[in-house]
Amino acid sequence: MIRMFHVYKNYPNKIQALRDINIHIKKGEFIFLVGPTGAGKSTFLKLIYRGIVPSKGQVIVDGINIARLKTGYIPYLRRNIGIVFQDFKLLYDRTVYENISFGLKAIGATNFEIRQQVKKVLNLVGLENKRKTKPHLLSGGEQQKLCIARAIANEPLILLTDEPTGNLDPYTSWEIMKLLFHINIRGTTIIMASHDKLMIDKAKKRVVRLERGRIMEDTERGTY
Amino acid sequence: MIFENTGFYFREALLSFRRSALMSMAAILSTTTILLIVGIFLLISVNLNLFLENLESQLEIVVYLEDDISQAEINNLKSNITSIDETKEVKFVSKEEAYQNLLKNLGEQKDILSAIEVNPLPASFEIQVKDPKMIEQIANQITKFKKVEEVEYGRETAERLLNFTYIFRRAGILVLTLLVFASILIISNIIKITVYARRNEIEIMSLVGATAWFVKWPFIIEGFLQGFISSVLSTIILYNFYFFAVNKVHQAIPFLPLVVDNVDLLPMGIAIVLLGSFVGILGSMFSVGKYLNV
Repeated sequence: MIRMFHVYKNYPNKIQALRDINIHIKKGEFIFLVGPTGAGKSTFLKLIYRGIVPSKGQVIVDGINIARLKTGYIPYLRRNIGIVFQDFKLLYDRTVYENISFGLKAIGATNFEIRQQVKKVLNLVGLENKRKTKPHLLSGGEQQKLCIARAIANEPLILLTDEPTGNLDPYTSWEIMKLLFHINIRGTTIIMASHDKLMIDKAKKRVVRLERGRIMEDTERGTY
Repeated sequence: MIFENTGFYFREALLSFRRSALMSMAAILSTTTILLIVGIFLLISVNLNLFLENLESQLEIVVYLEDDISQAEINNLKSNITSIDETKEVKFVSKEEAYQNLLKNLGEQKDILSAIEVNPLPASFEIQVKDPKMIEQIANQITKFKKVEEVEYGRETAERLLNFTYIFRRAGILVLTLLVFASILIISNIIKITVYARRNEIEIMSLVGATAWFVKWPFIIEGFLQGFISSVLSTIILYNFYFFAVNKVHQAIPFLPLVVDNVDLLPMGIAIVLLGSFVGILGSMFSVGKYLNV
C-alpha cells in the first residue's frame, strides 16, 4: 500500500526532517509511529498525503509515485486517504452533520449518498444523537470521534492519525483506539503517530520508531 | 463540474456571507469607501476635461481677405476652407458686418469712427477647428490660398493654452491610474483578510480531496458579490452626491460648464461597478490559491 525508498526530506532552514527512510506498509496494517517531538513523524505523514514532496527518494502510495503526481491529481490521491489531526481542524460554525457532509460534497457525492454515509459513520463513532450539535459543544473525545468520522466518511484505503489520543483521558483514549481497531479490521490501513505508551504497549501492533529523522526500530507487535 | 454544482457554490457563498456577517459588512464598507474616492476623482476629472475642452474650443482662426475680392472668389475660398477636414465651422464676416461689430463693441465711444470716411475693416472668415492641436497647420494651409491678406490665430496664446491643457490631462491620467492601482491593491487586501479568516476551511477542503476549483468557486462568487454590492452602493451615493453638488455650484456660478448628462455619467458608473466586481473576483481567486497548497 505504501512504500518509501531512500527518502530524504530537507526543509529550507537546512533541517533534515527525514533521512534515508525505507519502509513497506502492507494493505490493512496498523502501524504506530513513535519517537520524540521533532523526530519526523508529521513529515512522514505529510509525505503520504502529498502535503510535501520528498527532497530525494521515492514515495509510492497505492501505486502512485507522489513526487511525480501533477498538482491537478492531488485531490484524487487524497480521496483515498483520511486524515485525523491532533488539533481536530473542525469547522466550528457548522454542525456535526455539516462537518462530515461538507467533505463528501467536496468530492462530488450526491445528496443521497451523503445522507447515507453520514448516518453510517455517525453510528459507527457513536455520535448519531449529536448530528445537529456544533463542535464546540462536544467534549474532546467527541470532537476526536467527529474527526475520525469525517476522515473515514468516503471509505479511504489509508487513515493517517496524528496523536489522536494526545489530549484525552485514558478511558476516552481507549475508546478512540477501539474505534480505530474496528476501522482497521474492516480493511483500512492505519498509521498512527503517538506518544501514548500505555496504549501502544497494550495494542501489540507494528511499531516504527523515528529518531532524528531515521527509522531506529521497526518491530511487529512492538512496544513504546 | 461548474454547472453541476452551481447551486451549491451559490449557497455556500451566501451562507458564508451570513456566517461572517460582520466581516463581510466591514469589507463592503471599506471597499465602498475606496470606490467612492475613485468615483469622486473620476467626476472631477471629467468636469476638468469639459472645462479644458471649452477653453480650447474658444481658439479660432481669423482669415482676413484682400479688399478687391469678388463674391465668386469668396465662395470659392469658402469651399476651399470648408474642404479642409479639420475645420468645424466656417463663418463669413463681410466688411459691413465687421464695421457693425466694431460699432457695437465701441458702444458709447463709437464717435471715434466718424472721423473715418471709408470702412477700413477687411472682410474675414472666422474658422473653428475640430482639433485645437491642428490649428497651426490649418492656418499655414490657408495662408497659401489666393486673396488671403493675413491669417491670425493667436499663436502664443494657443500654444500656451495647449501646453497647459496637455499637462493637466497627463497629470489627471497619471493620478487616476495611481488611484485605480491603489484601489485594486487595497480591495484585494481586504478580500485577502476575509479569505484568511477562513483558511482552515480551505485547508480542510483540500485535505479531504476537493479539487482546487471546487474550493475556489464559492469564494469567487462571494468576492464578486462583495465587489458588486460595494460598487453599486458607491455609485448610488456618488450620483446623489454629485447632482446635489452640481445644483449648489450652479446656484453660485450659473454658467460654469458641468457634466450633467446621464449619457456621459453612465460609463463612469459602469466602470466603477466593473472595477469593483473584477477586483472582487480576481482578489478572492488569488487569495484562495495561496491557502490551497497544503
